[in-house]
Amino acid sequence: MAIDWQNFFELLHLPFMQRALLGGLLLGTTGGLLGSFTVLRQLSFFGDALGHSALLGISLGVLLGISPNVILIPFLIVFAIGVTYLLEKTRLWNDALLNIVYSASLALSIIILSFVKDYQGGINQLLFGDVLAIRPTDLIFNSLLLGVCIVFLGLTLRAQMLVTLSESLAKVRGIAVRQHELAFVILLSLVVAVAIKSVGVLLVSAFIVMPACTARLLSDRFSQYVAISVGLGGGCAIAGVLLSALFNLPSGPTIVMTQFTLFLIAMLWPVRRKVML
Amino acid sequence: MQSSLPTHSPILSVQHLTVQRGRATAVRDVSFSLAAGKDMAIVGPNGAGKSTLIQAILGLLPYQSGEVKLFGQACDAHSAPLLRHDVAYLPQNFLVDPRIPMTVMDLVGLGWDRLGLQLPWVGWRDRRAAVHNALAQVEAGHLHPQSLSSLSGGELKRVLLAYCLVRPRKLLVLDEAPAGLDLCSEADFYRLLNHLKREQGWSILQISHDLERVRAHCDCVLCLNRQLLKQGSPEEVLHPDILNAAYGPGFVFR
Repeated sequence: MAIDWQNFFELLHLPFMQRALLGGLLLGTTGGLLGSFTVLRQLSFFGDALGHSALLGISLGVLLGISPNVILIPFLIVFAIGVTYLLEKTRLWNDALLNIVYSASLALSIIILSFVKDYQGGINQLLFGDVLAIRPTDLIFNSLLLGVCIVFLGLTLRAQMLVTLSESLAKVRGIAVRQHELAFVILLSLVVAVAIKSVGVLLVSAFIVMPACTARLLSDRFSQYVAISVGLGGGCAIAGVLLSALFNLPSGPTIVMTQFTLFLIAMLWPVRRKVML
Repeated sequence: MQSSLPTHSPILSVQHLTVQRGRATAVRDVSFSLAAGKDMAIVGPNGAGKSTLIQAILGLLPYQSGEVKLFGQACDAHSAPLLRHDVAYLPQNFLVDPRIPMTVMDLVGLGWDRLGLQLPWVGWRDRRAAVHNALAQVEAGHLHPQSLSSLSGGELKRVLLAYCLVRPRKLLVLDEAPAGLDLCSEADFYRLLNHLKREQGWSILQISHDLERVRAHCDCVLCLNRQLLKQGSPEEVLHPDILNAAYGPGFVFR
C-alpha cells in the first residue's frame, strides 16, 4: 500500500482530524483509567452489556423522537442502576445474568426498530462509531467526563484499592462499599454512553478492557498499573487515528487493532516473566 | 497503659444482639462488653455463631435486633468511618485474587490511610515509614516489594497482621488468627498480641479453638452456642460443666 504522505499532512491540518485526535485522546485516556478498575472488579462484561443495551436506548429514542445524544446518557445510567439492583437481588452468576439482560434488550430494540420504518440513519455508525464525526461540543463533554473520572478516582484512590482487594476489609474500615460501587457503575455507564458515538457499540468495551489487561501484563504495582493503562489508552487512540488517516482505514476498528497489537506484544514481552512471578 | 479512654467506658459493648442468617437464628440475644486493654476470647463448637457474632459487630452482617456500641458510641452510617478507623480485623480465611496487581507495600499502606477523600500522594513518606515499621514487627520486612500473589498462606497472614498494626488502634478483632501459621510463628504471634495489649493498651477480641492458649493468655472468655452460655474469667468459663453444655458430653479435656 503506497502511503500518500502529503495527503496525510494535509489531513492533519483539517479541523475534523484535529478534533478526532483530541477526542480519541480524551476517550482513550478515560477508558484506560476507568477500565483499570473495571477489569480488576470483574465488571468488564458489565461494560460490554451496557454497550449492547445502548441500542435499546437509541431505538427508544427513535420511537419517541428523541435524539440518541440526549437519551443515551440517562438511559444507560438508569439501566446500570437497574442491573446492579438485579445482580444483588437474584444472586445468580453475574455473567449469566448480564447475558440475559443484554439479549433481552437487544431483542426488544430490534422489535422496536421494526416499527420505525423510516429509520435509515446510522445503524452502521451506531455499531462501529466514527471518531471523525466528533463535534466541538463532544470534546467539551469528553473533557468534563475525564475530569470527573480523574477527580473521583484520584480522591478516592486509596478506598478504591481496598474495595477492589477485599470488600469485607473495606466494610470493616467503615467504607460505604455499596455507594462506592454504585458511583463507579454510574461513571462506567457515562463513559460507555459517551464513547459509543466515536467507537460504536461493538468496540466500546475494547476501550475499557484492552489497555487495562495490557497494563496488567506489564506491571505488578497498583499505581504503576493504572498509569500504564491510562497511557496505553490515550496512546493507542492517537496512534489508531493517525494510522487510519494514513492508510484510509475505518478509525474505530484501527484503534482497537492498535490496542490488540500492543496487548500481543505485552504478552510476548520477555520481561513479563520476571515481573509476574 | 496509653489508652485515652476513661476506664469506665467499655471499648465495645453489645446489647441483646440477635443475628439471622437466612431463616435460622445464628446468634440470639447476646450481651457483653469489653473493657479497654483486655483480651477476650470467644469459644464454642463449630456452627455456634462465633464468626457471625463478630461479623455483625464489625458491620459485615446486618443484625435483626440489639445494639453495638464502639468506644461508647452507636455505629451508624455517619459515625462508622471514624469509629471503625480504630478497629482492626484479621479474617480467618483471606483469599487474594492473584490478578489484582498489589504489592505487600501497597496492602499494608492501605491500613495506614484514613480512606476518606484525599489526594493519593498525601503523607506517602509517613506511610512508607509506618509500613516498614509494621512489617519489621511481624518479621516480614523482606517481603515489602513482593506482589501479594507470590506469598504463601503464612506470609499473607503476617502481612495482614502488619496491615492491622501499621497504625495504633484500640480494638483488634481476630477470627482464628493463627490458623495457617507454623508452631514457631504461632508463639511469636501470641507474644506480639501480648505486647500490643500491655505496651499499647489495645483491646483484643478473638475467636479461638485453642483452649489452652485462651486459659493462659486471655482475661475473659465468652462461651457461645447460638446464645451466650457463660461469660467470665477463663477459670469460670472453661469449666468442664460449661464446656460439656457447649460442646456436648463427648468433649475431651486436656
